[in-house]
Amino acid sequence: MFRPLKMSKVEITVPEHAVLPVTEALARSEVFHPVDTNPVKEDAAPLPASWRSQSAALTDLERRVLEMMESLEIEVEPPPEDLHPIDISAAKQDVSDLEEEVKEAIQGRREALDQLEELSKYAHHLEPVEDLDIQLDTLHHLRYTFILIGVMPEANISRLQSSLDLVPFVLTPLRYDGNLVTVMLIGRQEDAKILNRAARSAYLNPLELPEQYKGTPKEILLALRRDITLSQQHVQEWEDDIRHLHNVHKQHLAVLLWRIRARRTLVSTIASYRKLRFLYLITGWVPSEQVAKLEDGVLTVTDQALIEVSPPSWQERKTVPIALGNPSFMDSFQDLVTTYAYPHYGEIDPTPLVALSFPFIYGIMFGDAGHGIFLALLGWLLLSRKVPILRGLAGLGRLMIACGSAATLFGFLYGSVFGFEDVLPALWLKPMDDIMTILIATVGIGMGLISVGMICNIVNAVWMRDWSKLLFDHNGIAGFIFYWSIVGWSASALLPGFPLPGWPFVALLTITGLAMLFAEPLGNLLQKHKPLVEEGLATYLIESAVEFFESVIGVLSNTLSYVRMGAFAVAHGSLSLVVFIIAKLIAPSQSGFWYWTTVVLGNLFIIGFEGLIVGIQTLRLEYYEFFSKFFDGGGERYRPLKLVSQQD
Amino acid sequence: MSIRDVNAYAFVHATVRALYATMLPGETWESLIQAPDYPAILAILSKTVYGPYLQLDPQELTPRRTAYQLRSHMSEMYEKLIPLTPEPGQQLLIQLWHMYEVDNVKAVLRGVEAKATWYQVRHLLYPMHRYITLTMADMEKMVHAGSVEQAIDLIPHTPYYKVLIHALERYQAEHTLFPIEVAVELAHRRAMWKSLRRLSGTGYQKAAEVIGTMLDIDNLLWALRYRVYHHLSEQEIINYTLPMGYKVHDKEIRAIAAGADISQVVSKIYPRVEGLERFAEKPEASLVTLEHALDRYLIKMCRKAFMGYPFHVGIPAAYLLLNEHEIRDLIMLIEAKSSRMPLDMYIPMLEMHLQSRQANN
Repeated sequence: MFRPLKMSKVEITVPEHAVLPVTEALARSEVFHPVDTNPVKEDAAPLPASWRSQSAALTDLERRVLEMMESLEIEVEPPPEDLHPIDISAAKQDVSDLEEEVKEAIQGRREALDQLEELSKYAHHLEPVEDLDIQLDTLHHLRYTFILIGVMPEANISRLQSSLDLVPFVLTPLRYDGNLVTVMLIGRQEDAKILNRAARSAYLNPLELPEQYKGTPKEILLALRRDITLSQQHVQEWEDDIRHLHNVHKQHLAVLLWRIRARRTLVSTIASYRKLRFLYLITGWVPSEQVAKLEDGVLTVTDQALIEVSPPSWQERKTVPIALGNPSFMDSFQDLVTTYAYPHYGEIDPTPLVALSFPFIYGIMFGDAGHGIFLALLGWLLLSRKVPILRGLAGLGRLMIACGSAATLFGFLYGSVFGFEDVLPALWLKPMDDIMTILIATVGIGMGLISVGMICNIVNAVWMRDWSKLLFDHNGIAGFIFYWSIVGWSASALLPGFPLPGWPFVALLTITGLAMLFAEPLGNLLQKHKPLVEEGLATYLIESAVEFFESVIGVLSNTLSYVRMGAFAVAHGSLSLVVFIIAKLIAPSQSGFWYWTTVVLGNLFIIGFEGLIVGIQTLRLEYYEFFSKFFDGGGERYRPLKLVSQQD
Repeated sequence: MSIRDVNAYAFVHATVRALYATMLPGETWESLIQAPDYPAILAILSKTVYGPYLQLDPQELTPRRTAYQLRSHMSEMYEKLIPLTPEPGQQLLIQLWHMYEVDNVKAVLRGVEAKATWYQVRHLLYPMHRYITLTMADMEKMVHAGSVEQAIDLIPHTPYYKVLIHALERYQAEHTLFPIEVAVELAHRRAMWKSLRRLSGTGYQKAAEVIGTMLDIDNLLWALRYRVYHHLSEQEIINYTLPMGYKVHDKEIRAIAAGADISQVVSKIYPRVEGLERFAEKPEASLVTLEHALDRYLIKMCRKAFMGYPFHVGIPAAYLLLNEHEIRDLIMLIEAKSSRMPLDMYIPMLEMHLQSRQANN
């Protein structure tokens, strides 16, 4: 807690023949975060391209397996417990054999379906002229009459008609089918050229039947329907074959897919290793407490591996991947922190602080015992994953339980339950009746939180051995004393009974103000860097004065920003009051169905609408007012190598 | 003037006015024309509203890539103004925006037919991100599809699919993309006309002066090109054009299709358009002149939209079309400068420059 897990750098040197089993052992240990060292220095031999080509080949094999699974309607299942990566040549052979076995059925079904679709389309277009007693195949050879049956977009009908104004013709729509129409165009044979060009430009696609369909429409339809039935039978036969293949190969394909994926993970990881002349150098990071487990895993597969373990050097601290070791009940809060950023190695992990402050702030703003219990129960429901549609929100469960519990606690302190302000006694105060007290109290809480942020910054500076930051930073010791000196001086000036005089605070303000103003030269002096000021004293003074002014304004506005906690506590009470006023307007007797329906709907609205807004405000206070005091972030997430990667 | 329109369009109007003020002034056009070469053009553009789009490695800024980057500005303008515009004007702007999506469909299908790579096609497209039906990923898949048929099969979720699939039979029979391109353009322009007709009163009148004019010019030029370049039959010309329009109606299209004197027909619709005298003798050269004249007319109509009653969708539409013309001219200038074309060959084609010069005079 409070700091990312301690990490160790692990460098493993292995001979070429052991690189694959060692990588598998590393993946099985699930603690090794590999570092890509392949874009290597000049002394390294080029990595054999075979790893990359193997990776590409495995990706192709994976695609082919997935295609087969889709055709055989096999779902991708979770990876098996006992997963063994497959050898690439075995995988190639296996995939080819399977393809050979299923190819005929898949292709057969596709062709049968295409044929069925084609025949159905012909029949569909021909049905409207079923009663026409002419030989369709003779339509093209009529001596005096031009007849064209086909399909065209409905939008083009009027345009086609008007384009043929000067030619005698009849255009009969036979069947409307969505935006398409089956039509029959009749004219004189001597106008055939004009009619054909007009029909084509109006996108009238002629109905062209395969040669074997001859006779009257009725006869052709009879033949078509017979062939459709045959095609349906063929489709059914292929479907049976595919069902059989599905049952036979389901397990095999599901496992093969994961075995190929596992192999691809290993091969693409090896492609990122550094190759020496005869050896491979594997570099990565492991949580220090897991090093022994990793060593055991590697040494069980080879005794020719040389393992070196070292702590991160100062230069490496920025690149160490970050593993956060918070207890699982803090998961939701850790997500809030990592959404903002991962801390640097050696920086405070603010998750425990957020786990305390987030529900606390939320509770102050949304204090209502009834609403809080409702939120907590909803959080429990999400966490239990009992409602399938809400499973995607399970990650919010713990956060809602914590916020709901805090809201319940403050509900008792405020004496508020489901908006009723006179049912429970207020253990502290009623925000609506004591607005100034709640506003002042929340500013006080804000000052406390800002101070915690500054203390965290001081701790970070000590951990990072940044003495200049520790002493002279706006959020370091100088900034901390300056901030509280402002508070003390204001109190002595404004509060008549304040026990201390103002001058010691003014003296502290002056000393710490000057320290912050001259932070750079003082820091350089402390670390014996020269020159003390980089770009001339005048420029420095102007920049530093502006920065100083900004930071003073910033810290004051950050403090005042916490007033919103009190304001929302008051707003919560006001909103509840509005619900009751509306309910009273609807049902002046303050009872009955409509009164209580309004109260219930109003409460639901408050929980949904105000609950969300308060959540956003709390997040804002955490991210902008609190984190900005100490949290830089920018660390890389720890992603241990696993046989099955998270993307799969 | 309705209070509702004033409320709805006040913010749009203010935004468009601000954007309109960022269009290139006459002096910048003069500097661009006088620029000695392509790098000099880039240097001048970097100080204009297009600057942020050209912040790439100079090696990457080939003329084709620069054109793509300039079109990104247009995309941003559409994507900024569409959400600000209230319905039903918003639908009209979306249809106007989809005009470029249709162009993208055409470019992608041409790429597929020519077996081009995605790398070759990508920067010829309009970058479009929001209010679209066809994503860049869709288009990339289409280019990789291997055939026009397979490419079309990949976009059943778009409004173009049904039109394309029906026109596909013509493509398969004739082995040319012409019927496909005509079908998809006609379907889109019909949809745009429908969106325009959903407006009423002053809103319709003002929008029609801009978008109706644009549709008219497209329709008229289609008819003329079919007759002059493609020598299509009367029936084909009629079927490949729109029966409706703002000033160009079915009667005029039919007259052109039937072989009437083009200069007479066009001068009745646009009496002030010049360059029609020699249509009978030199139809192809005259058509090019007419195309430029009609472009200038559309620009005039767009500028006119900014005068008088301001609360209508015609204003954002006019700005967007002007912006497109500006970018089109810039691309032409870039291509001319990078191929070292003599000044007098392309200056007459820079419509926005000519208009700004006339305005200054």
